[in-house]
Amino acid sequence: MSEPKIIRFKDMARAGDEPLVTLQRDDLMALPAPTDEPSLESPKARWREAYDFSLDGYSDFDIPKPKTREEEERLVRSFLSGLEKLFDPQSNWPFVKILKLSMDYCVRCQTCSEECHVYLGSGRQEIYRPTYRSEILRRIYQRYFTPSGKLLRSFVGADIELNYKTVWRLLELSYRCNICRRCAQVCPVGVDNALIAREIRKLFSQEMGIAAKELLKKGTRQQLQVGSSTGMNPAGLKDIVEIEEDLIYEKTGKKIKIPVDQKGADILLIHNAGEFMSWPENPAAFAILFDAAGISWTLSSDLVGYDAVNYGVWFDDVELARIALRHVTIAKELGVKKIVVGECGHAHKAICVVADRVLPSDLSLSEVPRESCLPLLWEIAKSGVVQFDPARNDFPVTLHDPCNIVRLMGIVQPQREIVKRVCQQPLRELSPNGVRNYCCGGGSGFAIMDTLNFAQWRKAVSNRTKVKQILDVFQDVLEPGINKYVTAPCSNCKGALRDAIDYYGLWDKYHIAYGGLVDLMVNAMADLPQPYIDFKEET
Amino acid sequence: MSFEWLMLLLGWVSAALFVTVSAFKMYKVATSPLNLRWEVYPVPHEEGERRHYGGSYMEEVDWAKKPRADSLVAEFVEMGTEIFLLQRVRRYNPYGIWLLSMAMHWGLYLGVGLLGLLVVENLVAIAALAMLTNIVGVVACALGTIGALGLAHKRAVDRNLNLYTAPIDYFNLLLIAAIFVLGLASWAAAGSFAGHKAYIGSVLTFKPTTVPLLVSLTFLVFELFVIYMPFSKLIHYFAKYFTYHSQLWDDAFKTKGSPTDKKITEQLAYPAAWSAPHIVPGKSWLEQAQNTNIESEKK
Repeated sequence: MSEPKIIRFKDMARAGDEPLVTLQRDDLMALPAPTDEPSLESPKARWREAYDFSLDGYSDFDIPKPKTREEEERLVRSFLSGLEKLFDPQSNWPFVKILKLSMDYCVRCQTCSEECHVYLGSGRQEIYRPTYRSEILRRIYQRYFTPSGKLLRSFVGADIELNYKTVWRLLELSYRCNICRRCAQVCPVGVDNALIAREIRKLFSQEMGIAAKELLKKGTRQQLQVGSSTGMNPAGLKDIVEIEEDLIYEKTGKKIKIPVDQKGADILLIHNAGEFMSWPENPAAFAILFDAAGISWTLSSDLVGYDAVNYGVWFDDVELARIALRHVTIAKELGVKKIVVGECGHAHKAICVVADRVLPSDLSLSEVPRESCLPLLWEIAKSGVVQFDPARNDFPVTLHDPCNIVRLMGIVQPQREIVKRVCQQPLRELSPNGVRNYCCGGGSGFAIMDTLNFAQWRKAVSNRTKVKQILDVFQDVLEPGINKYVTAPCSNCKGALRDAIDYYGLWDKYHIAYGGLVDLMVNAMADLPQPYIDFKEET
Repeated sequence: MSFEWLMLLLGWVSAALFVTVSAFKMYKVATSPLNLRWEVYPVPHEEGERRHYGGSYMEEVDWAKKPRADSLVAEFVEMGTEIFLLQRVRRYNPYGIWLLSMAMHWGLYLGVGLLGLLVVENLVAIAALAMLTNIVGVVACALGTIGALGLAHKRAVDRNLNLYTAPIDYFNLLLIAAIFVLGLASWAAAGSFAGHKAYIGSVLTFKPTTVPLLVSLTFLVFELFVIYMPFSKLIHYFAKYFTYHSQLWDDAFKTKGSPTDKKITEQLAYPAAWSAPHIVPGKSWLEQAQNTNIESEKK
């Protein structure tokens, strides 16, 4: 393994298509057991011709390269205009205070570096340090917007050249951070480099209309116009509900009518709509459990009301507010006592935490409470209303902590208590875990970003630390004769785990599967005629 | 105007500028818009065990209706260990800067203590104080020198730090080192801090006095540093109050009619003046949020 190259900040402006870094599999962090990981491939020649891969040879942006100097200059001007707004108290009131503090007071001690799973996974490539992209933004900001930067230039570090290449590479760099905020957790000054990554994304989105298309065009835009980022419209939801009811009958023999648009129900349950498409057994498990526990609940078939995702939380405050407003308004119109979010991490954080202060008075948390499903599931588990037989879950289980639910909301124990209650074997804790967990590598949208060759970068680099943790935790039971289960109460985490298991061959080699938490609970229900979890299907 | 008068005035001017600029900067941050919630756990004011494992009130059902018992003491303890022991640097920084950083920070803390002792010595005559002043002063200068020079050296030779270090960072460290080196030299030349005490006395009583050149130089550099400090990132200690309290530990949810709610209502009326195609021109934040049918609005 070679020592990673130092990439100087001035290199960001380097002309040409040659990437600043070329990743090789052998340079990445070593894994503790053999896997089927493929070699890293260069982008296809026709892609290289049309698109810009000049950061690290990877990209999710199929935006054609500028053809003229004027186009390049327009992009730079637009970037600078957005940067000015980013520091304006009205244009960016949601985050200007903490952005400015992070910009002005980082002491560059690098305490955060070793906390970043992307930096570690990459074999400590300089450009993936949490501070690297922040330092570039800081230097541009100083040069163009602060008196000290304008006067003293290189003395204060404000000597970076701003051209099209710098702007483009900074855009790419903002999508090399999962915004898991492990770096912010350890900063002695409270600087938030993950927030800076998000603010860069926001600048591009809100000012220039540039964002990963899975997040903006096919994400928030589609959700607000069609009803769901999956493309599912309200009529589609009703069809899906019927399919779910059939699935429940097929797997359990129970005839359960899933309530939709029930006015006055206690709970509006909102799932990540991706669950209906990719893991239908998860919403079905909620229905089985809620039915058995006698809970008064409903789904909504209203536009946006059946999809909990809010990708705005990763890149755009306006889109964040629009989606949150729809969710809470729908709950108010249904007259429910509260919203409960299904197993989707970022949706938890968006509606329960971040969006609270972008909503008008009548939609405050005090008026329409929003909660995680996990405390409710733990209440069901310990209430005794539903009988669980842990012997039905007699296989090694580990728990992946979704960053948004754990580090960023402080919901740590309910899921652990549930696993302990419904599983036969002791919970295998990943190291580290809880609020010190590592991201799955799919956070902040990466799990759904698969344009051009971005997915390969995600699987090889940002998923890597999680794969290492999983192999470590099962090291004494790795033989494929033993089925093992990684439970992850989050749709995006499951998407990332699904892809990682496939990419590294973890099912084929070691019989490591993944799934939701509620699936594990239903699998332990004593009155079911057959196992609910099918290990082959889970992979 | 004599040099002694200039030094006397500089003492007052530097203190006044430090207080005024620092207060202005704090005021600017404190009155900037209320940010969205963006906390990171563990949050130390959480109750009981939760503060240790990083749990929150959101671990319960119906938390919005339940009373909370936050512990402000725990916040101060957490902040105290961070300020005095640099806990996060000790636990998580892999580049061997903790001891040097501790030395420099304690040099500064004790340096402030030395100033306090010199003021007290001018106000009350207690013989034992001179001994204490000597000990505190020498330890402060020694630690400060070792810490600041050590960190400058570390930044120069460690590839993990070097890239991120601008000339101004060396300037800051060397300026701090200069104060402590001069402090040590001026103490060594006289064998005590008597000259320093005399200078502080002159400032307090507004009576210029002649002190050894090294003492004057020490205070000259120190006072220039005091003027410079609020303009630099060296006042990250005050920024830290806001980053921790307004961001990392701000877990208060919004209740209708509360001061937070009123502030947010006001901020939602700000114009969202961004230019992307999905932003409607000329609309407030609230109007943007209420508008999902962008295309018809733009037409």
